[in-house]
Amino acid sequence: MLMTKAQKESNAVVAIAAREITKGIKNPVLMIVSIVFPIIFIGIFGGSLSQNMAGNLGYNYLQFMMIGMIVNSVFTGLITGMSSLIEERNQNLTQELYVSPISRYSIILGKMIGSSFTSIVGLLGILIVALLMQIPLGGMHIVWLFLITPLFCLIGGSLGIFFIGFVQDSKTADIGSMLLVMPQMFLSGAMIPIQHSTGILGFLAHIMPMTYCIDLARAVFYSGTPVYSQVVLYHPVTDLLVMAGFFLVFTVVGTWMFTRSERNR
Amino acid sequence: MEPIIRVEQLRKQYKSGKRPAVDGISFEVGRGEFFAFLGPNGAGKTTTISILTTTLSKTEGTVMIAGYDVEKEAAKVRRNVGIIFQNPSLDLDLTAEENIRLHVSIYGVYAYRPFYSMMPKEYKQRIEELAAIVGIHDNLFKKVKGFSGGMKRKLEIMRSLMHKPQILFLDEPTQGLDASARQSLWAYLQKIRKEENITIFLTTHYLEEAEEADRVCMITHGKVAVLGTPEEIKHKLLGDKSMLIDAGDRKALRAELEALQVSFTEEEQCFRVRFQDKTPQSLVARLHTPLSRMEVHQQTLEEAYLSLVQQSQNDESRKGAV
Repeated sequence: MLMTKAQKESNAVVAIAAREITKGIKNPVLMIVSIVFPIIFIGIFGGSLSQNMAGNLGYNYLQFMMIGMIVNSVFTGLITGMSSLIEERNQNLTQELYVSPISRYSIILGKMIGSSFTSIVGLLGILIVALLMQIPLGGMHIVWLFLITPLFCLIGGSLGIFFIGFVQDSKTADIGSMLLVMPQMFLSGAMIPIQHSTGILGFLAHIMPMTYCIDLARAVFYSGTPVYSQVVLYHPVTDLLVMAGFFLVFTVVGTWMFTRSERNR
Repeated sequence: MEPIIRVEQLRKQYKSGKRPAVDGISFEVGRGEFFAFLGPNGAGKTTTISILTTTLSKTEGTVMIAGYDVEKEAAKVRRNVGIIFQNPSLDLDLTAEENIRLHVSIYGVYAYRPFYSMMPKEYKQRIEELAAIVGIHDNLFKKVKGFSGGMKRKLEIMRSLMHKPQILFLDEPTQGLDASARQSLWAYLQKIRKEENITIFLTTHYLEEAEEADRVCMITHGKVAVLGTPEEIKHKLLGDKSMLIDAGDRKALRAELEALQVSFTEEEQCFRVRFQDKTPQSLVARLHTPLSRMEVHQQTLEEAYLSLVQQSQNDESRKGAV
């Protein structure tokens, strides 16, 4: 059966995504990390903060943090997943993809979908830790939140693409992706409320894409609850518009830069 | 007949380079030809092959592959070529079959299915057939991580043939393989070349692998130094062929060689006699002095190559001195 150009591209996207998923399933480290990471951050760090500093917040701090960690986990998974394109390029693993007759956008999209799948599966670790710590999951609210996680994957993935557009070697990619993930984890409200952030910290919080993703996640999770105004910064439409802007700019500029750096040496 | 590879005045200047890595090279390769592209490290071989396979942009010149322009019609070029890279480009965490399934899916040969059992019958037939030929049938469903260097190479060749390319680019395909793996790989390559009329474009540091080539192109400092059949190149760079002969009666042998007006030099224990025919048969037949020694010196591409490298180094030092 002969395929049209569009069918060939979508077939390639599916194959590349499936490759990522197969590798993820075969890699036990990923499963271990998806459990250990929430234990460290929600269990140890969050538990300690909750017991000692979160008494007067007026809402369940561990639940607040769990939402932030869900988005953060997806973001981290996508950024590191996209950054691995650099390492794979240096190890010659992606040469096969770059000499194939498919668009660079298909390669990146396939990689993004594959990394999204493994990141979302990794969220099971957070849920297990939450259940063990008796953090209220909010009934249907957590289901709604999970339904919009692909949006966070898109933004995290686009930020990853933007990043690899400017990076040439895997060492820089490793350090750079950490520098991209860590400040967002602390400044975007994933773990620490940022309602009262001012000055340089407030400015940084507002230019970080993850801030808007976390805010949208909380808007969905806390919708119709009395604490909504305490935990949500912006109207969800504002969050969505900002996220769409980031996605477009990051994806177009990042892909263009990445493919350009591949051929124009 | 339209050549399948046409390179005209190709030039590549890297942003970080002081001088062009490839400096105005031109050559053509015919359909079904075995073409060897040789040169010392840094001569521009990998740069050229990267441009020909669309992974690197050229600075100037024209490159047509299977009738398509590498810059304007890159996807069509890629569809018509198979590439074996200098370093294996297999996904070590996947099985051999999973690597091949990924390949056929991104080339649009077959629709992707998550399991081998769900793939079409034609795919299974082709993969079984090629796996049997290259001898990795028993390892088809094992992780590539455990494969030897030779098995990885065979798998790469098998993979590159799945989409039935017209041209196979081999960038040092036997690097790191032992002699027996190299031999079996070449036997297989020659077989598929004949059966499928595939054009082979080879770069290698094992010069004996290029002896079988239809034509050889040697480049130095980004320029074509010599281009022709292996015999033509050897003759051009090494001059006439020679043999070493000696006799109990050296005086008589010398007189005979002088009478026949052949070019020869007297060495310590023998005479070095040069000849132009394919073999020294006719020359030896005319000698009457009983010979006590006869060694035909077979010229090799390796000697021709070393001579070229030497010339090139001499030219460079002369330029440096000026």
